[in-house]
Amino acid sequence: MSFLALSRSSIRQAFSPCLARGYAAKSSNTERVPNVSVKDTSAAEEKTLSSCPPGTILEGLNYLKGQPPVIALPDDEYPPWLWDLMKPKVYEDDGPGGKAEKKRLRRENQQRIKDQNFMKTQ
Amino acid sequence: MDFCKEFNARTAHIEPGVPTPTLITVEPDRTFSFITKTPPTTYLLKKTAGIEKGTGRPGHEVTGTISLKHVYEVAKIKAKDAHLKHLKLESIASTVVGTAKSLGLQVVP
Repeated sequence: MSFLALSRSSIRQAFSPCLARGYAAKSSNTERVPNVSVKDTSAAEEKTLSSCPPGTILEGLNYLKGQPPVIALPDDEYPPWLWDLMKPKVYEDDGPGGKAEKKRLRRENQQRIKDQNFMKTQ
Repeated sequence: MDFCKEFNARTAHIEPGVPTPTLITVEPDRTFSFITKTPPTTYLLKKTAGIEKGTGRPGHEVTGTISLKHVYEVAKIKAKDAHLKHLKLESIASTVVGTAKSLGLQVVP
């Protein structure tokens, strides 16, 4: 039993430098291939801004008599501000007493009141 | 009776069954005037998303998904209203997004 364990450990020690050299060679090859595919997919993803492909019928919006169904247009034909609607609004820093600071302080105060109210229920 | 006839005449171009908010002003001498508005935003959103009712717990439950293109089209309809004429289409679209949130609809780009 002990002889087998000793032999195994010696074999591992003998093999580990060879294994390390083998892995190093493999990793250099695999790094090149994904770079090319990542560029292609990112270029393709940048083109489609919307999950709604052009040509989908937007139902329920033709409420007038004889109105043709409303169809989704390609992404370029919508105004650019539409794609920033869901992102949180950024206020540029006007310095102390500016609009950005007032918004920030108001949000912090509201959150503090909510936290205090919650703690009172505990 | 006069009101009914005039209302039917003014809303003849709208599909039957679509709710039409109306503001009726009656003077002391029983003459009246009324203004019709575009259908409610919640009605338009529910029809687009294909849902019957909004959630009872907005923010916690999700009833459906809507695209920004739907939001744009709904905002275009609402912009025809007289009391929203002075607003930018961007502002009207953000109010539509707020209404969608209160219905439990998830807005996806």
